[in-house]
Amino acid sequence: MIRFILRRLLASIPVLMLVSLITFGLLWLVPGDPASMFLDAGATAEALDRVRREMGLDQSFPVRMGHWYMRLLQGDLGQSLLLNRSVVGAILERLPVTLSLTGLAFVVSVLLGVAAGVVAAVRHGRLADQGMMTLALIGLSIPEFWLGLVLIWLIAVLVPIFPAGDYVPFTTDAWQWARHIALPTFSLACVQMGFVARMTRSSMLEVLGQDFIRTARAKGLPEPYVVVRHGLHNAMVPIVTVMGIMVGALLGGAVVTEQVFSIPGLGRLIIGAVLSRDFPVIQGGLLFLALIYLAVNLMVDLLYAAIDPRVRLE
Amino acid sequence: MKLKFLHIALAAALAIGAAAPAVAQKKGGDVIVAITNAPPSLDPHATSAQAARHVNLHMFETLYARDEGAKPVPDLAKSVAVSPDGLSYVFTLRSGVKFHNGKTMGPADVVASIERYRKGGASASLIGAIDSVSVSGADQVTVKLKTVQSTFLGNLSSPRAPIAIMPAEEAAKDIGKASPIGTGPYKFVEYKPDSHVKLERFNDYVPNPAYKERDGFAGAKIAYLDTVTFRFIPEAGARDAATMTGQVHLNETSDESTAKRLKGNPNFTVMKALPYAVQVLKFNMAQGPGADLNFRRAIAQAINAEEILGTAYPDLYLMDQSWVYPGSPYHTDRALLKQDVAAARANLAKSSYKGEKLIFIIDSIRPNVDAATVFQQQVAAIGVNIELKVGDWPTIAGIGLKSDQGWNFWTHGFGIEPYEGPASAMSHWVKGQGQRKADPVIDDLFAKLNSEMDVAVQKKLFAEFENRMADQAIAINLGDYGLFQIVSNKLKNFKPYRITRMWGVWLE
Amino acid sequence: MSATTPAPSRRAAFIRRLMDNRSFTIGLALVGVVVLMALLADVIAPFDPLKGNFKARMVPPGAAHWLGTDHFGRDILSRILHGARVSLHIGFLVALFTAVAGAVIGAAAGYFRYADGPVMRLMDAFMAFPPIILAIAISSVLGASVTNVVIALAIAATPHTARVVRASVMVVREMEYVEAARALGAGHVRILLRHVLANAMAPLVVRVTYVFAIAILNEAVLSFIGVGPPPPTPTFGAIIANGRDFIVAAPWITVAPGMAILLSVLGLNMLGDGLRDVLDPRMAVTTR
Repeated sequence: MIRFILRRLLASIPVLMLVSLITFGLLWLVPGDPASMFLDAGATAEALDRVRREMGLDQSFPVRMGHWYMRLLQGDLGQSLLLNRSVVGAILERLPVTLSLTGLAFVVSVLLGVAAGVVAAVRHGRLADQGMMTLALIGLSIPEFWLGLVLIWLIAVLVPIFPAGDYVPFTTDAWQWARHIALPTFSLACVQMGFVARMTRSSMLEVLGQDFIRTARAKGLPEPYVVVRHGLHNAMVPIVTVMGIMVGALLGGAVVTEQVFSIPGLGRLIIGAVLSRDFPVIQGGLLFLALIYLAVNLMVDLLYAAIDPRVRLE
Repeated sequence: MKLKFLHIALAAALAIGAAAPAVAQKKGGDVIVAITNAPPSLDPHATSAQAARHVNLHMFETLYARDEGAKPVPDLAKSVAVSPDGLSYVFTLRSGVKFHNGKTMGPADVVASIERYRKGGASASLIGAIDSVSVSGADQVTVKLKTVQSTFLGNLSSPRAPIAIMPAEEAAKDIGKASPIGTGPYKFVEYKPDSHVKLERFNDYVPNPAYKERDGFAGAKIAYLDTVTFRFIPEAGARDAATMTGQVHLNETSDESTAKRLKGNPNFTVMKALPYAVQVLKFNMAQGPGADLNFRRAIAQAINAEEILGTAYPDLYLMDQSWVYPGSPYHTDRALLKQDVAAARANLAKSSYKGEKLIFIIDSIRPNVDAATVFQQQVAAIGVNIELKVGDWPTIAGIGLKSDQGWNFWTHGFGIEPYEGPASAMSHWVKGQGQRKADPVIDDLFAKLNSEMDVAVQKKLFAEFENRMADQAIAINLGDYGLFQIVSNKLKNFKPYRITRMWGVWLE
Repeated sequence: MSATTPAPSRRAAFIRRLMDNRSFTIGLALVGVVVLMALLADVIAPFDPLKGNFKARMVPPGAAHWLGTDHFGRDILSRILHGARVSLHIGFLVALFTAVAGAVIGAAAGYFRYADGPVMRLMDAFMAFPPIILAIAISSVLGASVTNVVIALAIAATPHTARVVRASVMVVREMEYVEAARALGAGHVRILLRHVLANAMAPLVVRVTYVFAIAILNEAVLSFIGVGPPPPTPTFGAIIANGRDFIVAAPWITVAPGMAILLSVLGLNMLGDGLRDVLDPRMAVTTR
């Protein structure tokens, strides 16, 4: 097990290298630089050049790339060009926000999705099944950001139940945190909920049709016990396998949800950095996201092995 | 007898006291202001961005500052003595002015700040005429100019990228690295990127004794509030929502539908800051059909400026096409552009334009995109084929500010230049900066304006500039637009200005 | 895979099975409606989608404008009809490029053992970027245009597709008939095309249907963020983006195109489900 983890960690390094190289490739090609963020439209070309010089942007790109890698080896992701703090500091400030949004959405989609899928499988072919699966399909097909906009309109402006955006940290005020994160979580989780529901249903159907279930029923065990203890337990395996992809999808969706609801998370940090060309933040932020993605995948694989004793970690 | 008189006097005094304004200023309270963008830097010398001005001009002051009518008046200076040849300015500084770190402001700090700006300030060219700055007395600074500059005090007091006075120790640091330590009525508390900047009242601040009340960026800047927090909320909807739910007391800029909805709402006042900026349509005169006068004239006649402004800034525009704002002594009541499609077609036929696709660059600010979209449809009617190239600001700035290639049209707002005065309004077109090709007539007028001290002659020169701009269609002044500012009724005595001023206002 | 029944009736049976599948038929109908809207846009759109009407700005849905107008005075219905054309065009091209690129890369990685390691590491690296951020970055580099949006979205969707193809190819690679073909002297390319890819077709087709759906959704997000096709191009996402600032005053600008996206994507998802049910019922894992 330890060997497996170590081997996976080692294998992640080339991927992370590639991620940073791809990012550099993009940054090399992208026109414009952050110097313009300090100036307005009335600025002269000389002012633009001067600000670029002051920011050290007049050095050639390969040189800047070299500096970045050398600093990386010392564990330093550099200083943001526009935010007046270190890249690591900026990321760490934002991380809890994105993690709480993504984590909460994950929990909500799994709980509600699995519940819906189980009900649909148990009531296979009947109205509840059709209804659930139709809802799931619609949920899958809704554009998240549009759902967010419509929810803001309906539930935050027309009927002000929830606030329309912004973020309150859990440690500051738990109730306000919950109020503020309710709408974003729901609109983010909607899509994944549909996905989980459908998968749970088909997985459950496959499991419930197997011999050992019939045996358990024949033994006279109560139906809910059979469904949950035997059926669901085995059906979870395929769900766990796609959890990694789910988290990736949620992270990507969180990026957009943060824009719609003005939540100061990692996604907004990176999008803002891309649009204002804050190169160190783009570099560091994307590397960080890749790290999260790889870490989640590793955890999912471990979880998979823990759940299914037939799987041996190769 | 005497006692009765005393009673009457007392009663009279009480009556007068009661007749005083029912709303008395209250000290204290925390105000939150929603602004669109975060300041790129809290070092006032480092940036000319509007977002920075909102914050920095609460913490920093300048020797001279603009009053409510944009006239330069003394702020940190007490007075100035100008030599008869116009080349020497001796500033007498106010005494007892403290920096936020407790240090008393002295002439060495002023000299250091000005020198720093000269070397690397965001608009260093403003004081390019300076030959030398030096301490010339216990509270005196002497500035010597290379040539006579009628606009020197105006430049010194420019709020755009202000020549703020900071302690000499801060001025010694590189541009962008100075800590936010100034002389202003509020001092820095904290800055959380992507969230807010927080300021608190500077208790050792002494409002300028020469004034009774606030006056533009000058005057008596009395800070009643305990703290001011500027929150950055780029999304219009989120800013409005925050205002309506009471999370912020002031929304820097809102839109027409919200303004309409809040009319008559007892909790808010909707204020119009109009005019706030000029919407300019720029040509690239260095290459492409923009170099051809007939083409430019054709465009000027093809468009309907009111429809462009009315779509981009519904209920928030002013059809005035002078290059300074109404109210400025240099303002002229120019005839507005008239749409004449037939004449446009005729001029287009005479021009070198052959139907090729032209590029219109715009940043992603919605009114600019809207203006360009309406413009595109209007000129399509006479056969001009335009492709809109929307980009983020770094991309567009890279193309429009530096290059002759890759663009034919650009539109954006000019806010601070028309406010500052004729020289500022003209400067963008000098040496071909805005239009990419120098116009010798404009360059000549600008040089004359800078050395002409007689206001009447200056007015004539400026009028000639405006005529030249129109006649040669160097750029098109579509008109003025404004801002809707939504103020909570708890915040008293707020008046819209170039920035959301938080001095002279109080919370009830 | 050996045919004992003559080919035409196998095909007929296949089509019959597709038509029996409710998911497929409903999906086909929905997609068909959207495609029809797109094809006939020029004919049935009541107004010019690009032309504004200064006097008819932000008109609510009514007799003159069935879905109302936006803040330029442009008819929303006409914009949605033409928007269907652009959005479908983008979705189709993304699906096509992804299918080809994914097939080539996945087949190469799955079939040639030496290519597998480096190619899949590269795919992993691309997959570690949230697709939206990748698309935003590429759009910023290339500039905003329909072509560039297609490129950005195709690059974002290819790695996963390659992975799907690779998985199928790896399964078939080991099968006996491939060894037999090789023993008979068939070249690699021939084997790849005739045998291996044929087996990978089923999951690829299903996957590509979902890619089409996801591309429509992602184009909307790109337009919303501001890096989609430039104005005044009508795409579903651009119409929503236009309406976003007016959602309280003129909600119809935002609601209608969102419903259009929902319908298109729903149809494509159902189509994909139907295909999956018929082609390979074991592919119960639907991904997005």
